[in-house]
Amino acid sequence: MTDRKPSPLLGGATEAFVHERASATPRNAVLEAAPAAHGTSTRPPVVASFDRLQSWFAASVTHAGLLSEGVVADGLVSRLDELERVVTRGPRLGALERLGVYHHGYRARLVECLADDYPAVQYALGTDTFEALCHGYIARHPSRSPNLNAYGQHMSAFLVEGASGVDLGTAPLAFLAGLATLEWALVEVLHAAAAPVLSLETLQSTPPDAWPSARLPRADTVRLLRLAYPVNAYFQAWRTDEAPTIPTAAASATVVYRHELTLWRLDLTPAMTALLSALFGGETLGDALAHIEREVHDAEELAEAERSVMIWFREWVAGGVFARIELPDANLEGACP
Amino acid sequence: MRVDGPQANATNEEHVANRFDLPNLGIGLGLRTVHYGHILEHAPDVGWFEIISENYMQTEGKPLWFLDQIAERYPIVMHGVSMSIGSSDPLNWDYLREFKALRDRVGARWVSDHLCWTGIAGRNTHDLLPIPYTEEALRHVVSRVREVQDFLEAPLVIENPSTYVEFSGSTMKEWEFLRALTEQADCAILLDVNNVYVSAYNHGFDPDEYLAAIPYDRVVQFHVAGHTHNGTHIVDTHVGPVVDPVWRLLGHAHERAGGASILLEWDADIPPFPVAHAEAKKAEQWIGGVAR
Ligand SMILES: [Fe+2]
Repeated sequence: MTDRKPSPLLGGATEAFVHERASATPRNAVLEAAPAAHGTSTRPPVVASFDRLQSWFAASVTHAGLLSEGVVADGLVSRLDELERVVTRGPRLGALERLGVYHHGYRARLVECLADDYPAVQYALGTDTFEALCHGYIARHPSRSPNLNAYGQHMSAFLVEGASGVDLGTAPLAFLAGLATLEWALVEVLHAAAAPVLSLETLQSTPPDAWPSARLPRADTVRLLRLAYPVNAYFQAWRTDEAPTIPTAAASATVVYRHELTLWRLDLTPAMTALLSALFGGETLGDALAHIEREVHDAEELAEAERSVMIWFREWVAGGVFARIELPDANLEGACP
Repeated sequence: MRVDGPQANATNEEHVANRFDLPNLGIGLGLRTVHYGHILEHAPDVGWFEIISENYMQTEGKPLWFLDQIAERYPIVMHGVSMSIGSSDPLNWDYLREFKALRDRVGARWVSDHLCWTGIAGRNTHDLLPIPYTEEALRHVVSRVREVQDFLEAPLVIENPSTYVEFSGSTMKEWEFLRALTEQADCAILLDVNNVYVSAYNHGFDPDEYLAAIPYDRVVQFHVAGHTHNGTHIVDTHVGPVVDPVWRLLGHAHERAGGASILLEWDADIPPFPVAHAEAKKAEQWIGGVAR
């Protein structure tokens, strides 16, 4: 598979890079100190139940603005100079600065996670604007899972909905959303189970007269994306250090799939898109082929489709894009052995 | 205690062995994705690997493919960051079921997580947050550790985290809380000597006082790691080589425990495998012939 150039034009293997989560603490930025005017309370510790204390702590360190505002937001601590009634001053740092390690670490860890999932979006926006986007995302989508593998799943929708009004400069939201869709598809495909897929042998052993009524469902390790910008071309140029600029809008379609341990991105022609979309939508091969004639009006492309459709199928099957072939007669159904 | 390797005749007869009969696997490394290729190609002579459990949960794809290969060749230990054993939220049974299934899949020798909480009200901060060391918190954490151990049918190994704040309402020192917890819940300890060092600096206590209070018959594993010293405070970044004072703490604690598995954590600016491996093997110079 790695020797074969993905057809028709563009795409290529993506060396899958999963950045793992760790038990470490992110490096700090400058910690926020309490204003010098604030004294230190000498009053006894605030009495609070275990869960009340945890609610306050979580609200403080996940507060989207300044920590000094976060610690007084929920009422347990009424004024900043009362903070040391809840957490102590250390040998060298005040209570607010100490708490700042957690406040900084919370967002830094999630930004790191989103940067792992969306490196091309980060490139398109620049590091600072990407970080601002992430801060908006983190505020809108706090994690509710013990796991970060799916944390970034809402990014495309978040962009489509306007990114909570975060100033993203001149990059069109629809382009960024499309790029996020592509990058998230890569994450999903990486984590998808590699179930058995339709093999060439099974395909070739299917009697030709059974073909029109056959169905070819999508394998779990495959995603078909229809996008408003040529996102994959941009992604490919970024991957190969060509410093791409944001393209003008133009419809594109890309299939993303994992074959064994390699992720592939393959741009589709309109004829391929019509055919694969219909098949993945559950239509029979006969009906799916009819979609080509309905949706493609360029005579040259139609002729090319007629010549090459068998080659496309062989390549798609070799790449493992179909789960199985389903025939009306259940006895003829089969996945790979 | 079962002891692997040539140390059976070491001069440690007076030292207690761990009461859980968990093996001394020698010196290991935290398993990191950038090292998969090297490990599978060169089969380095490493005692064992520790995985961050969550990196292999909620996935059925590529990470597990590598883990299965590595688990065929090396002992695996699971180290988690999201059990949230110290949270006032209910235990997450979906998480625990998946966790147990992963343990059984890779044949993990034991499982560990931190003395901390990670979130409340269903939200996860993905950070290791500090616990107030009070009787109320102790009762709560003891009952949860017991519940998890009953479910896992195995001891839970609890690690002391690095902390950056202390609570004004705490009535115990961390080492008193850890000792009481492990004795009352009958659980094991993963003693991270770098975390002891980091917290000692951040809070101004004596790390030797901490080490002196540990019930060593419960220590089944040590962590060492690099950290980032900011002058005013130390951050547990797991980057770079281990500093000598941390190695010295390891030497003392390891001797008191009569030997236990040692693991190096390296999580940022991760170097090529041989560099990380060489750093882990420095432990041999500090533990006097008690590891393999
Ligand atoms: Fe650790």
